[in-house]
Amino acid sequence: MITSPRTHMLAALSAIIAGAVGTALIASFLGPAAERIVTVFFISLIGVVGIGIYSGNSGILSFGHVAFMAIGAYVSALLTLPSQLKIATLPNLPEWLATTEMGLLPATVIAMAVTGLVALLVGAAIGRLEGSAATISTLGLLIIVHGVIIGWRDVTRGAQSFFGVPRETGIWTAVAGVIVALVLARLYRDSISGLRLRAGRENAIAASAVGINIPRERLISFVLAGMTMALAGALLAHFLGAFSPKKFYFNDTFLLLAMLIVGGMSTITGAVTGAVIITLVTEVLRRLESGLSIGGIELPAVFGTTQIGIGLIILLAMFRKPEGLAGLKEWEERLFPPAAAGNAAPAMPKAHASTPLVAKGMTMRFGGLVAVSNVSLTLQPGEILGLIGPNGSGKTTLLNMLSGVLQPSEGTVTQGSVDLTGIPSHEVADHGIARTFQNIRLFPDLTVHQNVLVAALSTRGGAEAEERAQAALTELGVAALAGENAGNLSYGDQRRVEIARALACQPTLLFLDEPAAGMNREETDALMETLRGVTRNLGIGILMVDHDLALINQLCDRLAVLNEGKLIAQGTPAEVRQDPAVIEAYLGPGKLSSKKNTKPQGQPGRKPELAG
Amino acid sequence: MDLILQQTVNAFALGGTYALLALGLAVVFSIMGLINFAHGELMTIAGYVLMYCGLAGFPFVLSVALAVSAAVAAAVLMERIAFRPVRNASGATMLVTSFAIAMILQVLFQNLISARSQAVVLPQFLSDSVQFGGLIIGVNKIAAIAATVIMLVFLDRFMKHQKTGIAMRASAEDFAVARLMGIRANTVIAGAFALSGLLAGVAAVLWVSQRASVDPLMGFTPVLKAFIAAILGGLGSLRGAVAGGFLLGFIEIYLAAFLPQELQEFRDPIGLCIVVAVLLFRPNGLIPSLALKAEKV
Repeated sequence: MITSPRTHMLAALSAIIAGAVGTALIASFLGPAAERIVTVFFISLIGVVGIGIYSGNSGILSFGHVAFMAIGAYVSALLTLPSQLKIATLPNLPEWLATTEMGLLPATVIAMAVTGLVALLVGAAIGRLEGSAATISTLGLLIIVHGVIIGWRDVTRGAQSFFGVPRETGIWTAVAGVIVALVLARLYRDSISGLRLRAGRENAIAASAVGINIPRERLISFVLAGMTMALAGALLAHFLGAFSPKKFYFNDTFLLLAMLIVGGMSTITGAVTGAVIITLVTEVLRRLESGLSIGGIELPAVFGTTQIGIGLIILLAMFRKPEGLAGLKEWEERLFPPAAAGNAAPAMPKAHASTPLVAKGMTMRFGGLVAVSNVSLTLQPGEILGLIGPNGSGKTTLLNMLSGVLQPSEGTVTQGSVDLTGIPSHEVADHGIARTFQNIRLFPDLTVHQNVLVAALSTRGGAEAEERAQAALTELGVAALAGENAGNLSYGDQRRVEIARALACQPTLLFLDEPAAGMNREETDALMETLRGVTRNLGIGILMVDHDLALINQLCDRLAVLNEGKLIAQGTPAEVRQDPAVIEAYLGPGKLSSKKNTKPQGQPGRKPELAG
Repeated sequence: MDLILQQTVNAFALGGTYALLALGLAVVFSIMGLINFAHGELMTIAGYVLMYCGLAGFPFVLSVALAVSAAVAAAVLMERIAFRPVRNASGATMLVTSFAIAMILQVLFQNLISARSQAVVLPQFLSDSVQFGGLIIGVNKIAAIAATVIMLVFLDRFMKHQKTGIAMRASAEDFAVARLMGIRANTVIAGAFALSGLLAGVAAVLWVSQRASVDPLMGFTPVLKAFIAAILGGLGSLRGAVAGGFLLGFIEIYLAAFLPQELQEFRDPIGLCIVVAVLLFRPNGLIPSLALKAEKV
């Protein structure tokens, strides 16, 4: 399923097809030299979008995908190489392979399948790695594959040139290939998996909290990208006719990455822009490099003009447009901004019938520090439980343990017969527990609508996701902002979008970490009304951390008070206000007991609002 | 036994050079999130200065001092001209910027100096060797190990006791807060680049003294290795960079010495498989950077 408006997709796909065919027609009108340039350009472009499918959507820079291009090239060439030549140049090839000879199309398909399989294995092995460790393992992949190709002489002719490959890639083959690759990349970007992966790129913790299994989505894109690179490799092999392992190493990796990043990593528009600009500059400078006469003045041939020129273009592009020339949006997304949501928003679906959430003996140690110590809590469906305590008392840590962001050192969390202890955050979300964060965690470069939609798509099997997303946006009064980038909103609106995103998960329980922070009195009151409605009408239970005691006192059915990691009181707001332990925790000793107490009052960092 | 000891000395010498380079990458990365691929070109610059000084007949000590200063100056210039405009951009943008600089410098070396490898005149004593019991150790190896130790001690004292060093450590943990405390961003970043240039310069002298030649692409391979070492150790962590550099040196030397002949041509792939395997067990590197832990949920 595609998550973006149909008009966008139609515009994008028809532009891809028209652009590729149009360019090819112009090239064949200009003659064989132009045809060759355009063919090479198309093959590079397949490689650029191939890397983009993984790096652009996941945000992890990959140096390794040219290795998949190499695998695609060698596998397809081994299949199309004439049998006699194969026996003559590769005498140690296994019999079945030596006698196989097929056309370019089946060979390319097989090469893509084989590469996909390799990518699946590699991706599964390195998928857990994050950030620079992931980048370095892709660099490792490039060097490892290069080393294996050089070493495996019986099959690859080692470092020597692999020659005699039928030159079957003409301009129209390249057109077909580039259309397949661009359409695949464009569809993937706005597929459910692509949207989830982009959410994970923007904020991994929040993405898990709305039910996204990031490693799985990453693996899907890794394999798709690998297969696209294999397509580029197969076409390149059959364009060149002869190639050596050097063709698929650092030089080409840098060139393809430069195209991708100069254009803008996260869009297809960017990949095309980068490939066009760098190819054009290369072609112009290559002519200059061999010397030129303008109006009788002979310019000397300067070796390396092309490289210096490309280097300067990259610097200029990066200085001016650090996000890439095409920015973060596709052209059609800029040209046709999505319409604001329809006014007929469906009602929020009721929460599923649910049993209480029971946490027993929760303990969290960070090294020697015990942040939360032996806390037991029960959260009933349909109630609002406030969790309060001085700063540093362990409220957020407790919330993180209950929502699977942190693994508790000790203790169990159960809901009915389901044991939720220690399961990953994205599964907790699927069990109907949604949350917001103390320091807002939205997906800033996705629209408000996409922020909420991706949550709906990743929970409850994605059923009626669009309806749930619309309902949640309307419930929080942010439907009018649906087309905005979440990162551009005001603080209060960001808080509301985050709550809408949590509600779109159709939770039975909602954890809110300081939902009213940064809101003024009117906004807080409106939020209070919304939250009351959510519990009363939908039966959702809320666990809320906040320092706004007016809000807490008016809204909560029950309060639990933490101090220095321990649960010191539990009960109705009125009971808790009278509790001596609570008063001592907030105001320091001496307020209650005898005047002989020597400790100073009002310790720093403590909040004195409770009594007032 | 002798073979093992001999190879261990070699591993320390190579690992030390990687450690210095990895430290240079880590100092800059920890502060501004840039993986500087043009770090290798700083090495090449130092190498060429060493070559020209040798041709001019300068005393070796002076040549080394000039070579290292050239690398420091080049690093500071590089920051001022090329990296300042992209300072707040994403890691990918800065990385590609550094590719571009590396590419431009390489072409300049090829055009202005020579595309071919140039011999460097080195003093005779570097190619001598000393005998310890059954061990024969090259003076250049001993010099490499000694220089590494001196640099590491110097860096440790600088980071712990010098005002600029402490400012750098503060900036590495939280740049925004460090600036609010009155630490000047330009000073800290220029300082980080100067330090990385110093480390690259020393590493270049050690590298050249093992090979006695310079070419335009000289810096590429060692910096690629250093990049791997820095991440193996924990990107952005200085102790990690040293640990990663030495571990990588050991992996390479031991594989070269003890891998069976028929597997020797798969040495690099096998070495990298080991690196990736280590990362799978310690995804944030051997000694993870403190900045990683600082993120609050």
